[in-house]
Amino acid sequence: MAALALATPTLNAAELDLDALLARLARPAPDTTTFVEVRYSSLLETPIVVSGRLEHRQDGSLVRRVEWPYEEVTELQGENVSVERAGAKPRRFSLERAPELRGMLASFGALLKGDRAMLDRYFVVAAQGTEAHWTITLSPRDAKLKRHLAAIVVNGGGDRPRCFTLEEPDHDESLMALGIEAPADLPQPLERQPLKAWCVQAPGH
Amino acid sequence: MLAAWIAIVAILGWVVDQRLVISSDLRLFMPSPRTPQERLILEEIGEGPASRMLLLAISGADPQAAAATSRALAAALRTNSEFRLVANGDAGLENVPDSLLAYRYLLSPTLDHDRFDAPFLHAQLEERVRDLASPAAGFLEPWLPRDPTLELLKLAESWQPSRQPQLLYDVWFDAAGKDALLVAETRAAGFDPQGQRKAADALQGAFASVRTDPALKLEASGPGTFSVLMQERTQREVQWIGSFDTLGIVILLILAYRSLPMLVLGLLPLVSAAVAGLAAVGMLFGSVHGITLGFGFTLIGVAQDYPIHLFSHQHRGVDPRASARALWPTLATGVASTCIAYLAFLFSGVHGLAQLSVFTVVGLAVAGLTTRFLLPHLVPAGTRNAADSRLLGRMWNAIAGLPRPRWLGVAIAAACVGFLWLSPEPLWQDNLGGLTPVPTALLERDAALRKELGAPDIRHMLVIEGGDAQTVLSQAAALDPQLESLVARGVLDGFDQPARYLPTQAIQERRSAALPAPPQLQAALTEALRTTPFKPGVFAPFLADVERARQLPALQPADLAGTPLEARVGSMLLERQGHWTGLVTLTGVKDPAALAQVAEGTAGVTLLDLRQASEDLVAHQRERILWCLAAAAVLLVIVVFVALRDASRVGRVLAPMALTTLVVLALLHAAGVPLSLFHLIALVLAAGLGLDYALFFEHAADDPAEQRRTLHAVIVCSLSTLMVFALLSLSTLPVLQAIGVTVAAGVVSNFVLALLLTRKPQRAADGR
Repeated sequence: MAALALATPTLNAAELDLDALLARLARPAPDTTTFVEVRYSSLLETPIVVSGRLEHRQDGSLVRRVEWPYEEVTELQGENVSVERAGAKPRRFSLERAPELRGMLASFGALLKGDRAMLDRYFVVAAQGTEAHWTITLSPRDAKLKRHLAAIVVNGGGDRPRCFTLEEPDHDESLMALGIEAPADLPQPLERQPLKAWCVQAPGH
Repeated sequence: MLAAWIAIVAILGWVVDQRLVISSDLRLFMPSPRTPQERLILEEIGEGPASRMLLLAISGADPQAAAATSRALAAALRTNSEFRLVANGDAGLENVPDSLLAYRYLLSPTLDHDRFDAPFLHAQLEERVRDLASPAAGFLEPWLPRDPTLELLKLAESWQPSRQPQLLYDVWFDAAGKDALLVAETRAAGFDPQGQRKAADALQGAFASVRTDPALKLEASGPGTFSVLMQERTQREVQWIGSFDTLGIVILLILAYRSLPMLVLGLLPLVSAAVAGLAAVGMLFGSVHGITLGFGFTLIGVAQDYPIHLFSHQHRGVDPRASARALWPTLATGVASTCIAYLAFLFSGVHGLAQLSVFTVVGLAVAGLTTRFLLPHLVPAGTRNAADSRLLGRMWNAIAGLPRPRWLGVAIAAACVGFLWLSPEPLWQDNLGGLTPVPTALLERDAALRKELGAPDIRHMLVIEGGDAQTVLSQAAALDPQLESLVARGVLDGFDQPARYLPTQAIQERRSAALPAPPQLQAALTEALRTTPFKPGVFAPFLADVERARQLPALQPADLAGTPLEARVGSMLLERQGHWTGLVTLTGVKDPAALAQVAEGTAGVTLLDLRQASEDLVAHQRERILWCLAAAAVLLVIVVFVALRDASRVGRVLAPMALTTLVVLALLHAAGVPLSLFHLIALVLAAGLGLDYALFFEHAADDPAEQRRTLHAVIVCSLSTLMVFALLSLSTLPVLQAIGVTVAAGVVSNFVLALLLTRKPQRAADGR
């Protein structure tokens, strides 16, 4: 009985949390965050790890700067993506060719703006956890997007997101830890389960 | 008998209608090619890749919808048989068929400067690891096991034009980012309005079926579009001119003869002439060109003359048959001389003119013969006598009383000749573009689209001649560095040549030999994989593909059939009777002289300036036509001499016609009108008419009644002709306008001069 009484307010609190949470998560542009990204691929034995900075600009464009272990700058401006590495020709393509990127951008943009309606438009939104440790799971609505993106999972605590994970249908995954400076700050070895657990439990940055 | 005549004409008309094919290929009015160079020029003008290209723009809604429609439209058009090549900037790797995929190691230039050894492969694999960590991973990852060095991506990128419009949503957009742009190459030649019409219809159909938003609009521009527009306009104009003409003739005939049966009878020779002319052309040539048809129907004004002469000379108390017999020598001379003049065109070497000549000669001959032999049996005896008209009598006396100084004719002739000789302006117009003008707004839009899309120049191209495909391809490849340096210097915006897509056999074999054998490749790969995080065995498809490429024979032009490269290479590498020609299309030519220099430096390469070449062709052919006409003129003089047998009579009959020709030429030149082939045709027609009038006036001699009847006849004739050609001169199309103005001026001048010059000068002022 008491458990039930305790459970209900928590559930309600989680529901209310989402809108309020989103409002708290909003970050006005310009904004820069450090990140470490771990990418798992079926072609690779060990994941690739890069670290750098993520910049959200005034005009709405996003710049992803990889600073370690090599240098690479990705600019996402409207529909166009440009990836440039030192010593190589820039690779340009549009979001039409990379739907999972579009999904990621949509969710990122919505979170940065605290825009619940935008999230709802592209994803089925599910929230769990408490205010101290919450998880938002976004499942794409669009069939075409579903072919490239299984889900986006955002973990965080308080009013800060901690991890941003893109899960692909073929079990490839890309996990971005925000506010972390170096890979050493993450639990080693960089395996999926420990990292996921860390994401759920770690405090917001 | 009337019934029989009408029946025959009706049946023949029906047969002709069933079997007649109307062509609108303007090249029929261009000189026939005799050398391979000339043939190439004409084919390039009408059939070359640049002339078949339609530039398309989709606008009206937000860019994403336009982009989606662009992709859907491109996919729809690619399956449509009317189109050979469609490009919209979509460099999707999925569009490359498997057959070409296997050849990627032979087509890509990577093996020209690198080897698939451990260091190279290691560097590539490191880059691929980084690619997997980048946002491009999504579309690259599926290809990596087969193609770790990304040869396919390199090929797809090299197959895009060197100067592309900006890419939005992965398709081409204009600089403002509002209109999606596409390029489509039609199967039909640029100068074939029927084929282009089919292609335009297919285009609209495809667009209607893929359009998601009703606000989206499709705009098409290019030589094909213009030729369709011009054909529609020509048809519309010929139709309304034709209907007004018919109405006018009917009214005129009724006014002149005040009798409905006469009207019907008067139109019969004309209709017979038209049907006979069409049947003859259909039998001899298989098809009739639209211009021949349009011009042929203006023979209304000429063939109409023959029945008019018969009717006007008809009067009470004279049997129509006798009247016809009396008229016949004059009539026959008139018909014969006009036919001789038109026969000259038969030998001109221009297909369309030969058609015109057959149509005219057969038509006029039939009109003359039916007037002489069939009509008199049907004309009711006892009709109005034109000689009784008092108005005519007064007119004739007034004219007879006009002063006729001998020197006037000579003076006019001298003035005209002097003016033409001394004028600094060129007399002739050689530019074919002047014959079919397009509204300036459309031309400007076309130029803007062409610039945005980097579509090839229609005027300049480099031509490579060789005995076989490989020679041509190696010459084309040899031009690459020089042309690249021209682009770097800004002399040229871009270029495209067949060797870019299909390397020579020698190069392909060299690359194939550079591919390592399986054991070596395996060893190099294992070594390269050592410090990378890739799983072992991931690149087994790569090993298989390289081995397959090693075994493949070199890709030949014939192997490209059914692939996207077929149309692209096929339009730049042509085979004709064992002789191969390669074309290098150019974009944004700013200095043709530099290109000419490049061409001179390489064997077998020439710079083709289509406009210059076509103008030369036209000028050359015109000389030939003028010589034919000169021969015809001599023949004409002989015929008239045989008919009249008196030098002074011949002189008086030929003078109005000769003088009119000079006067009209001078007038046109003074008005700043450059003369074209169609002016020539019109001048010959006007001369024929002048000869007719002069012959009849001369024939009337001293009998006042005959004089008045002749006056009536010639007035009605010239009014009918004038009306037809004056209407034609109102046309907005230069071809029709040229013919209209020239003949109208010629008719007026001929009428006046025939009146004044043909009569023997009278001493006394009686003329009664």
